[in-house]
Amino acid sequence: MASVVTAEYSNMVPALAPERAVTWPKRTKTRLANGIEVVLAESHSIPKFHGELYFRAGNALVSGRAPGLAEMTATVVRTGTAKRTSRQIEEDLRRLGADLGSSAGQDTSAISFAGLSEFAEPILELVNELARDAAFPEAEFERERRQKLEEVKLERTSPGFLAGERLRKVLFGAHPYGIVSPSEAQVAAYRREDLLETYREIYTPENALLLVVGDFESAAMLKSIERIFGSGQGKKPTAKGSAAPPRPQGRRVYLVHNPGSVQTQILAGVHAITRKHPDWVRLGLTNSLYGGAFNSRLVMNIREDKGYTYSPRSGVSPLRQYGYFTVSAAVRNDVVAASLTEMFYELDKVRSLPVPAVELTDAQNYVAGIFSMGLATQDGLLSQLSTVELNELPADYLETYREKVRSVTSEEMLATARKYFDSANMQIVVVGERGQIEEQARLFGPTEVFDAQGNKLE
Amino acid sequence: MKRLQIPIEYKTLKNGLGVVTAPDPAAPVVTLGVYYKIGFRLEPQGRSGFAHLFEHMMFQGSENAAKMQHIKLINSSGGVLNGSTMYDVTNYYEAVPSNALERVLWLEADRMRALKVDDENLKNQRDVVKEEVRVNVMNQPYGGFPWLDMPPVAFRNWANSHNFYGDFADLDAASLADVQSFFRTYYLPNNAVLLLLGDVTPEDGFAMAEKYFGGIPAGAPPPFADPTEPPQKEERRGHVKEKFGTLPAMAIGYVMPARRTPDWFAMAMLDQALHGGRAGRIHRELVLEKQVAVEADGGIDDIFGYNGPTQMSTRILHKPEYSSEQTLAAFDVVLREVREKGIAADELEEIKVKWRSDYYSTLEGGRGGYMPRYGLMHLLACFTLFDKEPGLVNSILDGFLSVTREDIQRVADKYLKPENRAIVFRTPVSKTVKEAA
Repeated sequence: MASVVTAEYSNMVPALAPERAVTWPKRTKTRLANGIEVVLAESHSIPKFHGELYFRAGNALVSGRAPGLAEMTATVVRTGTAKRTSRQIEEDLRRLGADLGSSAGQDTSAISFAGLSEFAEPILELVNELARDAAFPEAEFERERRQKLEEVKLERTSPGFLAGERLRKVLFGAHPYGIVSPSEAQVAAYRREDLLETYREIYTPENALLLVVGDFESAAMLKSIERIFGSGQGKKPTAKGSAAPPRPQGRRVYLVHNPGSVQTQILAGVHAITRKHPDWVRLGLTNSLYGGAFNSRLVMNIREDKGYTYSPRSGVSPLRQYGYFTVSAAVRNDVVAASLTEMFYELDKVRSLPVPAVELTDAQNYVAGIFSMGLATQDGLLSQLSTVELNELPADYLETYREKVRSVTSEEMLATARKYFDSANMQIVVVGERGQIEEQARLFGPTEVFDAQGNKLE
Repeated sequence: MKRLQIPIEYKTLKNGLGVVTAPDPAAPVVTLGVYYKIGFRLEPQGRSGFAHLFEHMMFQGSENAAKMQHIKLINSSGGVLNGSTMYDVTNYYEAVPSNALERVLWLEADRMRALKVDDENLKNQRDVVKEEVRVNVMNQPYGGFPWLDMPPVAFRNWANSHNFYGDFADLDAASLADVQSFFRTYYLPNNAVLLLLGDVTPEDGFAMAEKYFGGIPAGAPPPFADPTEPPQKEERRGHVKEKFGTLPAMAIGYVMPARRTPDWFAMAMLDQALHGGRAGRIHRELVLEKQVAVEADGGIDDIFGYNGPTQMSTRILHKPEYSSEQTLAAFDVVLREVREKGIAADELEEIKVKWRSDYYSTLEGGRGGYMPRYGLMHLLACFTLFDKEPGLVNSILDGFLSVTREDIQRVADKYLKPENRAIVFRTPVSKTVKEAA
């Protein structure tokens, strides 16, 4: 792929001016007496603030009781406390100009919030109340459980969901990460007591990390936080051992038959690494060159050259215990085999040939440049800080990241691709109309066929 | 109450190009946008979807930057870029480290001056756009609902009622000659505005705008089809099949008053009373209390970004055990109550606080995670193209904050009546559900 600006107009393109230094704001980091970790950063772009109250456990911790239990717990957390009804909570939020969300993933549960700085204290008081005194009213739980039943039926009609679900099953098997969503029967069996138990186990001060970014003065904000969040005690939950994930060897194909599809969702993946791994920065850069940017080889090939798809991309999904690399695209039904061929061709090319110097520099500039965009907004900065704190990355991670990206050599990139772009062992999921794609899919390995409910078909 | 004031400067170059700056040196990042006053509402008849297809063509090559050079030069400068087609405007935007500003200006000016594309590019992007329509609409549960389903039911003027993503036959019929003609007609400096936000001073910004864009010749003011709708006198209904989803759905849309009128400000506040998240009356009644619906939300889509007929609309996915008519009846109870009683004084005050808070987030807000100040750019552009008054970004909030309960009661009665609405029922084909009468 030609990747240099051709000579005849390279002298017309204005050169880059000298770079202005990127200065990350100072963070105030402390731990309250009861164990809550607190990280604050000022950002005065608008008279608001954004925050996250994280608890370092989620669905994976309680998967033995039922899949998705931490998520259901988070959903019901916002529906009532000892002092406020569901309706009062929603109206109070509106009165304070605030937004609030409660959710859980595999490894964390979180209460996310944002609001006007002038109402910071009452908003934080409400967040603390939800974290400490959620009441799990029976009627609210019952309604949310019935809602969830409809949602789990509905999500099985989304090609993206079906692809992601199957890949996770294949890569993680009996490990909790192998299940992305509960079944209808599992949701029907949720009990209020299970939620209460999950809440007591996960939502404890010692398990908590509070991040707040925005238009405030850090010393004053810290005082408010100490007053509001300082009481209460609670231990970290005990980590539970879980089954080791399989590491599937050899390319295999999993076809999910979705009747009526007019397009095929391709998702292929293989085990990789977590954020904490020393290869993370190198893999991120290598991914960016392969399929992680508009300007990447994959996008140039199957979108801009061949027109097979609108939405090709690759990425690394880092869960806390394991990470995996994926490549995906929703493609025209008659080019499923052609698209897979190009995906593997580009993967193998990054594994086989050193990246030319100019292309390496371009990718480094891209990854380093977009990293500092996070500085410009409160929620962008919050998300950067979340990454650092949740993954317990070094204190100077933000300050040194760009330098690390820029020091990667072509040889290191080749070695990284050889290690992680494990194309021989990629697991391939295709979601679409079986009659139109099965023959193409079978070209890429032993194939199993499933329906949208997850049942194996002959 | 701390009020946000954005420092704004606005000039018009000799060729008619508007230039707006809003400096903020806090981070070394510039957000740059070029907005053209043409959207899918006014694309040529027989060429549905053309404005959007054309937007893709703007990334396919210009006079001095061949296909892919545009994307490549911005990504390799550490920046991101995209474009989008809306009802009345089309935008192209970038967020880049501020040392790449001149490079981006050069690229945007190059494609404003002359597009250089061929049949192969057109065929390629036609294929890409078809996959975009499939991934967003045809292969998704409730794809395009209601933004593509509602217009043909609600409106009578082709400008407002056609398929904005495009019928595939129309996309296939689009030719290179159409592309060049559309470019010559609408992509003129005198039909555009340039936005320079973030780490660039007004002096530098205006000087660079002049340097790169000043020499692009103006063109004849473009002709615009009249999007006026004939007055609606009856409730309108339409039915669409849902191919994948499991739940019956409906969307109810009420035609909005003209923008920036007193009724429009009041409707925006009324919209918040009805659709303001979990505290909004519609979600509260249908999802949380009566529990008829699984989802019930909506609002006035992109309230600052349109310049023609539009609606406030509600999107409901309801439980299969309730019929469409039962669900609609539950919805009507909520609407009847605001029409008869208006809203409470404290409710209005809460809504105003939330509106102000949301407005600030809109201005700061990014897009896709890496696009700071998208909202500020969008509002400045629309206020410049529609009103020649970018300063509205700082003053328009007052119009919302001075709405009274009487205003709300008045507009509720005037606009929330059946003869001002259209309803689309989207019914799953796979399940047996009770059909609407």
